Amino acid sequence: MLKGAEIFLKCLRAEDVELVFGYPGGAIMPLYDALDGSGIRHILTRHEQGAIFAAEGHARATGQVGVAIATSGPGATNLVTGIADAKMDSVPLVCITGQVRSALIGTDAFQETDVFGLTLSLTKWSRLVRSIDEIPAVIAEGFYWAREGRPGPVVIDIPTDFLKAKVEFSGPAKFTPKPRQSDEKADGAFADGLIKLLQTAQKPVALVGAGAKLSGAIPELRSLLDELNIPTFATVHGLGAVVPEAPYYLGMVGMHGTRAANMALHENDLLLVFGARLDDRVTGDPSRFAPNSKIVHFEIDPGQLDRVRQCELPIIGDLAQTIPAFAKRVRGAKLPDWSGWRAIACGEDRAELDPRGLSQPTIRFLDELFGRAPKNSVILADVGQHQMWAAQRYCSDSPRGFITSGGLGSMGFALPAAVGVQLSKPDATVLCVSGDGGFQMNIQELATVRRLNLPIKMVIIDNKYLGMVRQWQQLFYQRNYAETDLSDNPDFVEISKAYRINAVRINEDVVREYPVTPETADVLEKFLHSPEPELLVFDCAPEANVYPMVPAGAALSEMLFEEE
Amino acid sequence: MHAFHIHYRNTQGTLMRILTAVSRRGLDIPYVLASASGNPHRADILLDVNAKQIGQLCRDWHAIVDVIDVRVGVPTPQMLEGGAGFSGPHPPSSASAGGRSTAAMA
Repeated sequence: MLKGAEIFLKCLRAEDVELVFGYPGGAIMPLYDALDGSGIRHILTRHEQGAIFAAEGHARATGQVGVAIATSGPGATNLVTGIADAKMDSVPLVCITGQVRSALIGTDAFQETDVFGLTLSLTKWSRLVRSIDEIPAVIAEGFYWAREGRPGPVVIDIPTDFLKAKVEFSGPAKFTPKPRQSDEKADGAFADGLIKLLQTAQKPVALVGAGAKLSGAIPELRSLLDELNIPTFATVHGLGAVVPEAPYYLGMVGMHGTRAANMALHENDLLLVFGARLDDRVTGDPSRFAPNSKIVHFEIDPGQLDRVRQCELPIIGDLAQTIPAFAKRVRGAKLPDWSGWRAIACGEDRAELDPRGLSQPTIRFLDELFGRAPKNSVILADVGQHQMWAAQRYCSDSPRGFITSGGLGSMGFALPAAVGVQLSKPDATVLCVSGDGGFQMNIQELATVRRLNLPIKMVIIDNKYLGMVRQWQQLFYQRNYAETDLSDNPDFVEISKAYRINAVRINEDVVREYPVTPETADVLEKFLHSPEPELLVFDCAPEANVYPMVPAGAALSEMLFEEE
Repeated sequence: MHAFHIHYRNTQGTLMRILTAVSRRGLDIPYVLASASGNPHRADILLDVNAKQIGQLCRDWHAIVDVIDVRVGVPTPQMLEGGAGFSGPHPPSSASAGGRSTAAMA
C-alpha cells in the first residue's frame, strides 16, 4: 500500500521528471512530506509566480515538461499568470495544485478556489482528481497533452485527502489518445501546390516563428532556406532559428523589427510562414498586412490558421515532417531567379540606419555584453524596452538561446525563468536582462539565486521609468507620463548586497566611446566570467526610445525612426 | 444565424471549453442544447456570427482535446424557435413591487 502522494511522485518520475519548482502550503503538504527519497529535486522559490516562471525557464531551455507545484487557494491563483504565459508561448507545463479535502469542495472552505474553473480557458487540458485510483491515469494523460502537438500548460488539481490516503499501486499508467477526425495531417502532396506558387512568385519571403524551433527541424529548415535563398526574417520567438550571417536573413520582424524585414514583409507576393501565430505585433494593422501576398502557412495547430486572413495553402502538421517533405521537393524543382528581388530586399539602402548603435548607449552596451558572452550563453529578456533592444541585438544561431515572454508579455518573467534555465544548463552562461520595473516584480527570487548559488548574470537596464509605457505616452499621449515615473526606485546595488549577491553600477557614458575603455571592458569581463551570481545596474537616459517602431494600428511600412 | 454541432467526449470541462470559446468573443448564445446521452456527446449551438468568426470558432473548437468533430449548418426550426425569445443583451431588471426579479433573488 502506498500513499497517494507517493504514487503521485512515482508517476512523475515515470514521466522523466527530475526537477520541480514550487511553494508549499496546507493542502499540498502531503506531497511535500513524500518528496524526500522520491528521486525528484524540488526547488523552493519565494513566490508561486517565481515557481511557474522557473518551470517555464526549464521547459523553454530544454524542451522538457516543466513542473510547478502550489497549494490551494492563493497558491494556485498565483500560478495563473504563468499558465497564461505558457499557453501563449506554447510551453509544455504541468501545474500541480493542492485542493481542499474532497468532502469540503464547494463549501468555500479555507483556501478553497475553483482552480479548475478559473484556468479552464488558459489550459490545454486539466483535471480535478476525483479518487486516489485516478492518479496514475491523470498524470499520464496530463503529460501526454502538455507535450503533444502544440505544447501547452496542463493543470492537475488534487484534493489533499487523496494524497494522504493509501491504496495498492500497480505502477504508472500509459495514455493512448483516441483518434479523431481533426487529427488529419498534411501528407507530402502539398509540396506540388507550393512549388507551383513559388514558380509564379516574384517576391517570395519566409517568416520563421517559434514553431520551427519547437519542431526540432532547425537543420532541415536552414538547409531549405539556403536552397530557396529568399529574404527571410524571424519573430521574437523565432530568433536563433536562422543563422544570422545568412545573406538572405533580415533580422527580427514586427513592431520593433528591422526596417528591411518589415519592408519585405509588406511588399512580398508570397509569404511562407514556418510556425508563427501572426499576432498583431508581427502583422501591424491586419487589414493592411502584406497586401499583395499569398500566404502558405506551415503550422501544427489548426487553431492558428487564417487568423489574419485566409491563407492560400494551409499545411497542417508537425514541421519536423512537413519541412523535410517540402525541402525534398524543392531540390528537384526549377524555380525562378529571384536575385533582383533579393537585391532590393537585402540592399544597403534598407540596412539599419545606425548599425553600431552609436547614438543609442543601451544598444552599444548590449552589443558589448552579448559580444563578450560565451558561445553557450542563454539570454533571457524581461518585458519592455530592454526586451526589444535585446531582441534586436541578439545575434546567435542557438535556437534556444533567447528566451522571453513574447506572447503574454509578463513583466517579472526573466529572473525566475533564469533560475530554471541555469539549473537545467549548469554549464551555460545565463544572462538575464531586465528593466527596473520588471525586476521588482519578482525581486524576491534573488533569495533563490543566492540559496542555490546560481551564477546567473543579472542586468537591470535602469531608466527609472516603465520605459515602454512611457515611450507610448510620449509618442501617442502627448507626453502625459501618467504613473510611469520610477525615479524613487530603491538602490538595486544595496538590495542585491542585502541578498549577499555582488553588484555593480555603471553609467551609460562609459559606452559612448567606441571601442570601450579597458576599464569598462574589465568590468564587463569580470561580470560575465564570475563563478558567482552577479548583478549589473546600467543607468541609462530616462527618455531613450526603441526604434524602429510600428505604431499600433499602422501598417508595417509605416515605421517610426529615431528623431534626427 | 448559424447552427453549430459539436461532437465531444464528455470529459471534465470539455463542454465549458466549448462554451468559453464563444463567450471570450463577447458573443451571446441564443440557443444551446447539450445532449447528455450516448458517447460522443453533442452540443448544438445557435450563434449570430460572420464568416470570419465561424472560422475562428471552428478552429478553436477543433483545438480542444476532447472535441471530435465540428459541423456548421442551417438552424433547425426547433433551434430558431428556442432562440426566438432572445433579443440581445439584457440587463437585470430592477425589483418591482409586484414580484421578485432575478437580480433581487441573486
